[in-house]
Amino acid sequence: MSMSGMREPRRRAVLGGAAAAAAGFALAGCGGDDDGSDEPKGRKKGQKITLTFWSWVPGIDKPVDLWNSENPEVRVKVEKVSAVDGAQYAKMHAAIKAGTPPDLGQIEYPVVPSFLIDNGLLDLTKYGIDRYKDKFVGWQWQQSVFGKGVYAVPQASGPMGLFLRQDLFDKWGIEPPATWDEYEAAARAIRKKGAWIETFSATNGNRFAGLAWQAGARWFGAEGDTWTVSIDDEPTRKVADYWDALVKGKLIKTIPDRQNAWYKDVQTGAMASWLGASWGDALLVGNAPKTAGKWRVVPMPQWKRGEAAYANWGGSTTAVFAKSRYPKDALDFAVWLNTDPASIKLLIENGYGTPGAKGGYATSDLDVHKDFFGGQAYSKVFETASKGVDTSWKWGPATDTLYQRLGDAFTAAIGDGSSFRSVLTKVQRDTISDLKEKGLKAEAG
Amino acid sequence: MTGGVTSRAPGQAPSRAPGGASGRAPGRVRRLTRAEARGARAAAGFLVPFLALFLLCFIAPIGLALYESLLKIERTGPLGLGGETRDVWAGLSNYTHALQDGHFTAGFGRVLLFGAVQIPVMIAFATGLALLLEAASARWVGFFRTAFFLPYGVPGVIASILWGFLYVPGISPLVEMAHSAGWDVDFLGRSTVLWSIANIVTWQFTGYNMLVLIAQLKAVPGELYEAARIDGASAWQIALHIKLPLIRPALVLTTVFSLIGTLQLFAEPKVLKPLTNSIDSGYTPNLAAYNEAFTRNNQHIAAAEAVLLALVACVLSFGFLRLVGQRGNGGEDR
Repeated sequence: MSMSGMREPRRRAVLGGAAAAAAGFALAGCGGDDDGSDEPKGRKKGQKITLTFWSWVPGIDKPVDLWNSENPEVRVKVEKVSAVDGAQYAKMHAAIKAGTPPDLGQIEYPVVPSFLIDNGLLDLTKYGIDRYKDKFVGWQWQQSVFGKGVYAVPQASGPMGLFLRQDLFDKWGIEPPATWDEYEAAARAIRKKGAWIETFSATNGNRFAGLAWQAGARWFGAEGDTWTVSIDDEPTRKVADYWDALVKGKLIKTIPDRQNAWYKDVQTGAMASWLGASWGDALLVGNAPKTAGKWRVVPMPQWKRGEAAYANWGGSTTAVFAKSRYPKDALDFAVWLNTDPASIKLLIENGYGTPGAKGGYATSDLDVHKDFFGGQAYSKVFETASKGVDTSWKWGPATDTLYQRLGDAFTAAIGDGSSFRSVLTKVQRDTISDLKEKGLKAEAG
Repeated sequence: MTGGVTSRAPGQAPSRAPGGASGRAPGRVRRLTRAEARGARAAAGFLVPFLALFLLCFIAPIGLALYESLLKIERTGPLGLGGETRDVWAGLSNYTHALQDGHFTAGFGRVLLFGAVQIPVMIAFATGLALLLEAASARWVGFFRTAFFLPYGVPGVIASILWGFLYVPGISPLVEMAHSAGWDVDFLGRSTVLWSIANIVTWQFTGYNMLVLIAQLKAVPGELYEAARIDGASAWQIALHIKLPLIRPALVLTTVFSLIGTLQLFAEPKVLKPLTNSIDSGYTPNLAAYNEAFTRNNQHIAAAEAVLLALVACVLSFGFLRLVGQRGNGGEDR
């Protein structure tokens, strides 16, 4: 098995290389005269190929099956990867280093740059992605633009919102909080009833980034050829102080989120709300089915009453790896997957967040779990949030490392009682040294 | 120095082991007879698969890790994007980085503390069980031996998941019972989680170590016990003065294995990590190296950390052997 398994790709690589060379000659022959022919560059007409696609999204095989039935020549094979603790990216990075990545991969916005510094992703502008630009929500498109290149096809984003147990809030006579001050008051009131409003999970750097994002932080930037890092900035300090006070005042739990103990708390109502994102509906439905009808979604609390500042948590792209032998076909699939109405319909049914595509669906289509939220048209909340996301936020080139640094530092701070501000100081310092360690230029922003 | 230790330590075991393999050793020959030459060829033939795999799976990776640990990545291009990536000579800078990383060094302290407590407890348990099962009055020996050994058959990851369920509040019946008894227990807390891991490891490996000890006990000639009994020794005295001294080599062996295993702790903290906010990414040296390699993509630093870990394991193992070797000799001289 291993023998044939080793021989096969090599032969295909040779074929692919020859085809790519032929394509290169063909391009040269054209003398830059783009005749816009739909001839696949890496694949001879009529040749049957298989593209591999690493993803962890539940139900992703359904749109892929649809594609396969419509495109017998370009078969896409989904290989499920684990999304626990960033395992999928560890696997992708290892595959890139080993020179055997798949053709396509599910990659979240925050980690796209970390693949770029490894030269792992294909610049899709070479294969004409620009002509699809208008099909996508502008800022989601921008998340994968670096320099003149476009490195991924937007799939979905995760505008944040507050999921809460309306029945419990009503029973306790607590209004859903509209500001962070009210949120703290609600936390206090819920504590008096013996329950908790939430948890501050030390290891959830992703959500903490969202909270800072909402407050106006800009953690990463670029000046010339140097990365600027400003994790220890005023907006982030405000957020850190706020949650520090909640933790120190024992108004909030500190268990990890989306783990067994947390699910149990959500199921039993021991935790009355969750600051989540648009993809969170499916997560609650799947893990707390008995609480159906009791949940509602309200906008994320604001720092000033009447403001409309929101943030994004998660969201992914479909990217083509640089080593793909059939980049043109891979791009075609990635665009189809994320813009074709039939595909979007299937993706929505399985719960994937707020689409990156501009059209092809109506907001009400996203209310898949309306009954669970007592008939609320909850996707409206996320649609509004999506429009209020400050779209100038950029991710740095080592987001997984950053999350781990945040996780370690928050873990230590919650353990020994030191301030969350000291966490920011430490993570700021560590991140700059991490980037330098990766051979990049970095300085405090 | 260490050479003397290595040659002495393994030397102890065969001298006590029964069997006739040692009988042929003294016959040193100048010229090989034809039969012996054939034997040597056969031996070489049998050794080749082992040596080939040993080279491929052990020596080569160590060499690669050593080499990788001396390199670092250099990137060109604006912001490091789209430019060239190449490995350049780094000297020992990865080692200084690793040693200056507080998490990594703290991990060593943690596993050493773990070992200082868990290994003696586990070896004591294993010895106790082995002596009980090998006692003359033991019943249902086969059943209990299998039962005690069984946890070793459960892979470390699965064991950690199982115990994880018993540790997580809200799910665990243990935590629930403790709470209803008014005991506010937190198995995954900052000060307790290390001992919760120790519990998993002890549960898993006590039976294994017990089996190694039993094997050595079985090798003790029955005449010794008989003689002791005739001389009026009680079961206690036999265990204390005959069995324990005679299984010393096995005790040393299991302790060294446990020492190495402890330094390499990985699966248990890795599996429990998502369940608690008390385990950080550098909780044990192996976890630190893993995260350096696969989360942070700094393979070169990870390689340096792996080499450091191997060095420490080497020093501690041989240090321990030397320590017990000296004492053992002293005893024999008397």
